[in-house]
Formats: sequence, C-alpha cells, structure tokens
Amino acid sequence: MSALAIVFRKELIEIFRDRRTLIAIAFAALATPIVLFVIAEVSTKTAASVYKVGYSGQIPAGLGALFKATGLDLVEVADPSSAARHEVDLGVVFTDKGADEYYDPTRQSAQLADVRFQTILSRYDAAKVAASLQQQGVDPSVLNPLPVSVHPLSSPSQAAGNSFLSFFLPYILITMSLTGGLSAALDTSAGERERKTLESLLLTPAPRFQVLIGKILAVSVISFAAALAAIASMLIALSQIRFGQAGGTLPVHLSAAAAAVMVWLAILLAASFSSLTITLGTLARGFRQGQAYATPLYFITIFPAAIVLFIPDFNPSLAYYLIPILNAVLVLRDAIVRGTVDLLPLAVTSVSLVVTGGVCFFLALKLFTREALLIRS
Amino acid sequence: MTQSAVTVDRLEKQLGPNKVLRGISFDALSGEIFGLLGPNGAGKTTTLRVICTLLAPDAGSVEVLGFDTRSAPQDVRRRVGVVTAEIGIYPRLTARENITYFAELTGVLDGRVRTQVDAVVDRLDMASFANQRAESLSSGQKQKVAIARAIVHDPPVLMFDEPTSNLDVLASREIREFMVESKGRGKCVIFSTHVLHDAERLCDRVTIIHQGRVVASGTTAEVRGEHQDLEDSFLALVEAAT
Repeated sequence: MSALAIVFRKELIEIFRDRRTLIAIAFAALATPIVLFVIAEVSTKTAASVYKVGYSGQIPAGLGALFKATGLDLVEVADPSSAARHEVDLGVVFTDKGADEYYDPTRQSAQLADVRFQTILSRYDAAKVAASLQQQGVDPSVLNPLPVSVHPLSSPSQAAGNSFLSFFLPYILITMSLTGGLSAALDTSAGERERKTLESLLLTPAPRFQVLIGKILAVSVISFAAALAAIASMLIALSQIRFGQAGGTLPVHLSAAAAAVMVWLAILLAASFSSLTITLGTLARGFRQGQAYATPLYFITIFPAAIVLFIPDFNPSLAYYLIPILNAVLVLRDAIVRGTVDLLPLAVTSVSLVVTGGVCFFLALKLFTREALLIRS
Repeated sequence: MTQSAVTVDRLEKQLGPNKVLRGISFDALSGEIFGLLGPNGAGKTTTLRVICTLLAPDAGSVEVLGFDTRSAPQDVRRRVGVVTAEIGIYPRLTARENITYFAELTGVLDGRVRTQVDAVVDRLDMASFANQRAESLSSGQKQKVAIARAIVHDPPVLMFDEPTSNLDVLASREIREFMVESKGRGKCVIFSTHVLHDAERLCDRVTIIHQGRVVASGTTAEVRGEHQDLEDSFLALVEAAT
C-alpha cells in the first residue's frame, strides 16, 4: 500500500472517531432545515399577525370592514399621534378632508401596519372613484385606458423558488465545504504538532508529498460529505416546510445540469479549502492558533454569496470567473436560475479553483518540508 | 572488528541566529550503547535530529550504515528508530493501530505487518492494552507505544533522546532494560541524556558535548578518568571548557 493510501485511511479513521468533526457534520445536516423552519414560522406568523390601529374621528363608510378583513384592528383612542408611539402600531385621525396617519418607522410592526394601511386606502379610493363614475353614467374603465393582461412564461412561484435557491445553495455549499472539514484539517496539521506526533511522522521514509496528499484527500472527503449532507437536507426541508399564510411549499427544482455542476464544484471547493486550511494549520503551533488563522475565511466565503443576494442580476464578464469562490457562486447561480450550464465560465471556474488548490498544496508542501516546522514545534 | 553504525564527522548546524553544533565528530558502533551527554542546550537533540535526517547539516557529514543523510535520507530513515521524551501518539487510535501505522509507513511489507506488530507487542509486554485507545493509556504505557512504533521496522540503529525524563521509576527501569536488551541484539543504541547516573550504568562509550563542541570522548571509564564518578568528571570538563 502506498504512503498516500496509508495516511488517507488512518486520517479517516481518526476523523470518524473525533467528536468535533462528527458534530460539525451533524450540524451541517441539521442547521439548514432548522433555519428554514424558523424562517417559515416567522413568515407565517408575520402574515397572520393582526396590527392595532388607534383612530379618532369618523371612519368613512365601508372602510372599517376592509380594515378588519386585512388584519388591522381598529381601536378608538383620544390622541392617535401619541398612541402610535407605544400603545398601537398606527395612529389615524379621520377628518372631513381625509386622514392623518402617524407611525414610528423604527418599529417593524408599524412599518408592516403602514404597508397594509396604504394598500387598503388605495383599494378603497379606487372603489369609491369607480362607484362615483358609475353613478354619473361614466364607464369606470376610463380610469384604466390601457389594460394589461400578464402572461408569465414560467411559473412565478417557481422563479421565486429558484431565486431563493440561487442564493442559498451556493452559500450552503461554500460554507459547509469550509466548515465541514475545518476541524479535521486543523487536527491533522496543527494538531499533529500539538500532540508531538509530527516529528515521528516526518521520521518515516514515506514521501512527504504523499503524506500531505493523504491528509488533504481525507479532509476533502469530509468537507464534500458535509456540503452534500447540508444541501440534501436543505432540499428535503424545502419540499416539506410550508411558507407564509397560504401554507404552500417553496417550489424548488434542481435540474440535472445544476446538480452535476454542484457536485463538481463541491469536489473542487472541498479540495481547495482542505489544502488551504491544512496550510494554515501547518503554520499554526496548535489547534487554537489554527482556528484563529482560519477565522477570516468565514468572511471571505460569505461575501461572494452576499453579492448574489444583494445584486441578483449581477452578470459579470468572464474575468470575474477567475476569482475563487465568487466564480463558484456565479456558476451555480446561473445553473440554478437557467437550468443550463455555460461551459466557458465553468471551465474558467474549474481552472481557477484547481490552480488555487494547487497553490495551497504547494505552500503546504513547502511548509511541511521546512526545518523551521520542527524547530518551531 | 565491530562495525561503525553511525559516523558523525565535523558536523556543524545553525538554527536561527544560534550556531548549535560547531564541528562535532564521533562514531557509534553496532552492539553498543553510546552515550551522548551534555547539559541542556549543548546540542544533543540537534545532533540526533541531523542523524535521523530531520535536519540537514550545514557542514560536515553524517553516515548511517554507510548511507549519507543528505544524499540518501530515505535509506537512513528506514534504518533508524527514535524515542524521545515527548510521547506523541495518536490518541484516537488504539496502541496496536498506532504501531501498525508506523510499521506501514516505514515500509514493513504488507504480509509482514501483523507479524511484526504482534512481535513488538509481545516483546514489550503490551498485550493487555494493545487494543485500547491511546488516549486512555498511562504515561508508561504510552511510552511503550512510542518505543514499539520506533522499533517495529526492526531498525539497526536506535536513538533515545532523554527517554525517561517524563516517566516514573518503574517505567524508566523498563526503558533502561530495553536499551540493554537491544544492545544484546546487536543494535547500535545512541542514548542522549543529562542524567549521568544512567549513562554511567548503561553506556559502553560516551561523548560529552558542551556549547556545540565535543569536550570528551571515549569509554565510560576513560572519560571518568581519576574522578569518583562520571558526574564529577563531567562537571570538571564543562568548567574547563567554559
């Protein structure tokens, strides 16, 4: 058996006996469904919430029923403007000329009540105008001279599902590729030094590059498994959890092309992150120092996913696909949203991630063969 | 004539700003316990690390059974076993798995691994705890695992670097007995220590290092000379060299 295979097998045995790594993988599998469940609960609760509107004056005829039907509870108060600060979510003074609205924008419940209030008023106004025109013998359709019939070419709810997935899936993939194997990577590098086993290992005639590849492969397997476990659990959760007041599940569909791209990127990311975290671990004197070195990686991985969230239509030039991690996010987003894969960006992304992993491996190997590694320990 | 197993010739080594070794020379023979003595910081560990190829010499040369450490490091590593005071073993592997891992990495043939591992487990009387995870073992048991790991490939050269410094009396005695037994098997045993009482009892020949230089070399009796014991001789030599 080659040294690579010997080290790989031993590292896997150690990893599967390490409680920290098992907890990390379990967390990877359970965290996303829990987060999604909380989101679903909050969105359902928000949609079903009833907000209090403190009012004074005479409520226009018919408006009270509209308020009630939309989850706005009318309460008569002496001073709506002061009541709107704490007692109620919205204050309204009805006058002969119209209405004065008072709300505190720093309160989320006030913001939501305001949106409902504005929606009701615009509908009420439109109905009043239409009725008035009809009374005077005028067709209310004059208010809408260019009626538009909307014909979506794909399901809007499916598009919403894909949009959600295009942000969430790359984020989960990248985060779990990093965190799933981080503990194992630090244990096999910084931990080796901390436990004083490094010297004995380097004393063996096993070629050091094979020892290092064995370690990287073992950590990559764990990272890959953690990422896939997280994504599988997320997809299962999305198919089961009901969102909003309507109680429907979010229709997410991962095409075969997107799934293939996801697996391919998961492999590349796992290998790159494993090389990188083992390099950082080799620099560290112990596990804790390794964790400190790896902490900034969390931020580096969050930013690219955030770009997709905040700039959904971000369509960069091919050069952007050279930037590691961002390229994986973009390729995966495109595959999810369009259901097809552009080969050129995928090729550039693959080359970029392979080179990144290769550079990290080279650095780790340089560190692994330096005398300073032993002197520092 | 007894074969020279390890030949160190005018060895120099600098670590960072410190010139740790300044032209060390000695020969260690097969079938003897060779003592490498000196105070803390004298350069004993650095010398051993160069011999076992963990560090490269800046000048001079080291040969192990005719293999140069610079040009044939893999061949040297196959022929050397090292036991140090720092007992680093993998805590989540059993004692047997620890030994097997190193047997495989040091090139013990696949079909021989189990036999070799069983042999060292038996030789070091480890059967009662061989299948326990290393994290649950006592210090003495861990040290036995460290020794087993170092000798499982049956190396002709064994190096012990302060092997008893973290052990209790019983465990220390077992180590000493093991060194004597290895000598009886024709191994070259290099014993680095600052415990001169141990060195006097065990070593056939010694070299005393101080500040990176050899200040005395010869049989234990020769180095002791007219002094009452090796410790007196050592103190006199170190004082003269300072």
